[in-house]
Amino acid sequence: MDIAVEELAAGITKVGLRGRFDTTGAVLVELPFNKIITEKSRIMVDLSGVSFLASYAIRVLLVGAKIINGRGGKLVILCPDNNVAKVLRTAGMDALIPVLQTESAAAAVLTS
Amino acid sequence: MSSSEARRLVLRNDLTELQRLAGWIEGWAQRGVSADVSFAIQLCLEEAVANVIMYAGAKDSRLVIAVDVERNGTTLVARIEDNGRHFDPTQVPPPSVAASLEEAKVGDVGIQLIRSFASGMDYERRDGCNRLTLRFTEPQTASQRSG
Repeated sequence: MDIAVEELAAGITKVGLRGRFDTTGAVLVELPFNKIITEKSRIMVDLSGVSFLASYAIRVLLVGAKIINGRGGKLVILCPDNNVAKVLRTAGMDALIPVLQTESAAAAVLTS
Repeated sequence: MSSSEARRLVLRNDLTELQRLAGWIEGWAQRGVSADVSFAIQLCLEEAVANVIMYAGAKDSRLVIAVDVERNGTTLVARIEDNGRHFDPTQVPPPSVAASLEEAKVGDVGIQLIRSFASGMDYERRDGCNRLTLRFTEPQTASQRSG
């Protein structure tokens, strides 16, 4: 599981995750992901490189979104693959965290 | 590939075992299983086994988890058996729907994922063991339907 951070315009931080976001992968990225959460306020989590998503990964995303929301910031999810998107829907995450298909749409939500 | 094929994996009570499970089931599911069913079986087994390791007796080194998978034509059956404390996931109520991020409860979605991604789920307690059976059905192709 890889994590890459890119600073975009308008104070947006893009966090690109790649690989299997299963329990093992989520444990690996949890600490660096939480560090970003505590430092940034507009976060775009790019799941387009994620091939698998399990409930522990949902926990990591939800905890991050709750922390940022509590500080008045925003977290959105970008480009999940079909089955990854189905996992998010089944867990009810799409009703709590905006899920967008393009970087421009995600940026628009983060800056609105 | 034969129409009927079975495999078995025995796991220890340790979260690091999930990586071994993932490699094992991914290798098995790559042979003649559709991408969607492969994803579903990997997800459901990960959730079911993680549940056992985290909640069925986390400090008990005697806990053993056995996973059996069997393919019979277009049907795949996975059985997860453990000697941990009695736990019937089929009786767990669906999680409540949160109206906002503030209200959202963290956790409790694993069994909901199994319910949604498996075609069927049955539980029995037998000889001091939990036995969870999950079924997955390949969608029929047009040629299979017409044949």
